[in-house]
Amino acid sequence: MRSGIHGPRYEVLWPLAKKAVRAQSAAPRLPDLSGKTVGELWDYIFRGEVVYPMIRERLRARFPGIKFIEYHEFGNFHGARSREIVAGLADKMRTRGCDAIISGIGA
Amino acid sequence: MLRASAVAEKIGIPTVSIIGSAFMKQAAVVCRGLGIPFALAEYPGAPMVDSDAELRAKVETNLLPAIIEGLTAVSGPAMGEALTEPEIGSVVFKGTLDEVQEHFHQNLWSDGLPVIPPTREWVDAFLKFTDRDPRDVIRALPQEGREASILSIAVNGVMAGCRPEYMPLLVAIVEAISDPNFRIEAAGSTPAWEPLVVVSGPIVEELDFNYGQGVLKVGRQANSSIGRFARLYMRNICGYRIPPGTGDKGSIGYTFNVALAEDEEWSRNIGWPTFSEDAGFGPGDNVVTVQSVVTSSPPTYSAGDTAIRHVQQFADVFVRAFSYGSHSGVKRGYWHPLVVIGPSIAKVIAREWTKDDVRRFLWKTMTIPASLMRHFCAQTAAQDMDFAKLVGEGTLPAHYAPSDDPDRPVPIIVKPEHIGILIAGDPGRNQSRGYMSNNAQGARTSRRVALPREWEKLRAQQRGPALAQR
Repeated sequence: MRSGIHGPRYEVLWPLAKKAVRAQSAAPRLPDLSGKTVGELWDYIFRGEVVYPMIRERLRARFPGIKFIEYHEFGNFHGARSREIVAGLADKMRTRGCDAIISGIGA
Repeated sequence: MLRASAVAEKIGIPTVSIIGSAFMKQAAVVCRGLGIPFALAEYPGAPMVDSDAELRAKVETNLLPAIIEGLTAVSGPAMGEALTEPEIGSVVFKGTLDEVQEHFHQNLWSDGLPVIPPTREWVDAFLKFTDRDPRDVIRALPQEGREASILSIAVNGVMAGCRPEYMPLLVAIVEAISDPNFRIEAAGSTPAWEPLVVVSGPIVEELDFNYGQGVLKVGRQANSSIGRFARLYMRNICGYRIPPGTGDKGSIGYTFNVALAEDEEWSRNIGWPTFSEDAGFGPGDNVVTVQSVVTSSPPTYSAGDTAIRHVQQFADVFVRAFSYGSHSGVKRGYWHPLVVIGPSIAKVIAREWTKDDVRRFLWKTMTIPASLMRHFCAQTAAQDMDFAKLVGEGTLPAHYAPSDDPDRPVPIIVKPEHIGILIAGDPGRNQSRGYMSNNAQGARTSRRVALPREWEKLRAQQRGPALAQR
């Protein structure tokens, strides 16, 4: 702190902290959803029980051979067992042959 | 939700995440914090208040094109340019008190109240009260992924109006909220819970905390500034900022909590274990506990010279205050109410009952019809509570679904041991109060306070705390 003509002047430190984030690219996108397996992740809120079936129906109509691994196969990643479920997601996605994931609903 | 999407992206599976438009700005903060440029499909508005027709139209018009684009676009999603940030511990501004305040407000570094300018000299004074290196990092915290360093604790402690000798407590608070058990990644959720810091041990007297009349009112430096620190730290380091910031989605909210100190002497005199002893700490330990609080009961008056008169009153009042929100914790198998019992009331109860007796009575007595809990749940997020399923998967005990009777009573608290009990407040009045956590978010988490080797000497060098009017 130094005094000046308009009163003391303060030299203040930055109140935030370093970001420890390692940026990474998004996974490669798919050329086409036809014949692909799409996994559904749902946090069991915000009317996903209506939204997901509708998405399924529309995508099936547009992309021949598309398959879905429905959200109940992954479990509620926002519920009582969220830690355990999130920890097991990668294995489930691999073993069920997911090519893409639709995740919802919220932030 | 984006943390679940991140699992897929990290193993090379493309994702698209459905986000309500009101959450898009928070999603951008989480994207940057995770370091992944997620593809987002924006749902306009709030699905909970849309008609079925509106919902279907938005899925058709908004979500489907975004989902297809998000999974198939050749270029894929990309992250915006990262901003260059100042060096750790660097001077970022020079100016008068007014200019400092303005600079901090403009950068969203304050909580809207004036801050003490964090000069190097003042920060160094805080750092003397810890044996840890200022560069030590407790953990990188969601949602911005910033490092919870000892230096950042000192800087924000200065800003919040703390005294240097509070530093050991501030470190313990950040250790507690950094514990994965605390689930700080959920601190920006819409119910808008706030951290409540509970302080136990000899340090309560040494640092002049108020644990008596007006215990949770703003007014005593230790209680007020340490409570403010907890909120300010979550704002600056985690990134939980309300508009014009972007990380905190609290819909309405309320103010920060001042720190709550325990009247341990009263506990000992009536033969009850202290709050920190309940958590497994020793009688002389200094302990900080942090938990979420999303709402409280009314001030609860109770009268009589028998335990049942008081504890029954607690149950009658708390079940009304907490019935609505309890579904959120029950469906997760855990939430943790905190009961602050007025000293004179505790004295009456303790003549007949242990703390565990109180817990068991409240747990057993505070029930509501299963149908009402399901109704409250459905109003919140359109999700039905399937008690039988929750019992089947082990989230809830069997007594939640002994039959299909919609009006069977179900406990609003999952287990007696989830109830915290602490003595504080006005010994001259018969008032208690209950505090409700936001389900398992901000789960009750305790840390022993590590005092510096020269604690007594350092404390003696500080000016004495203002004498309290007791």
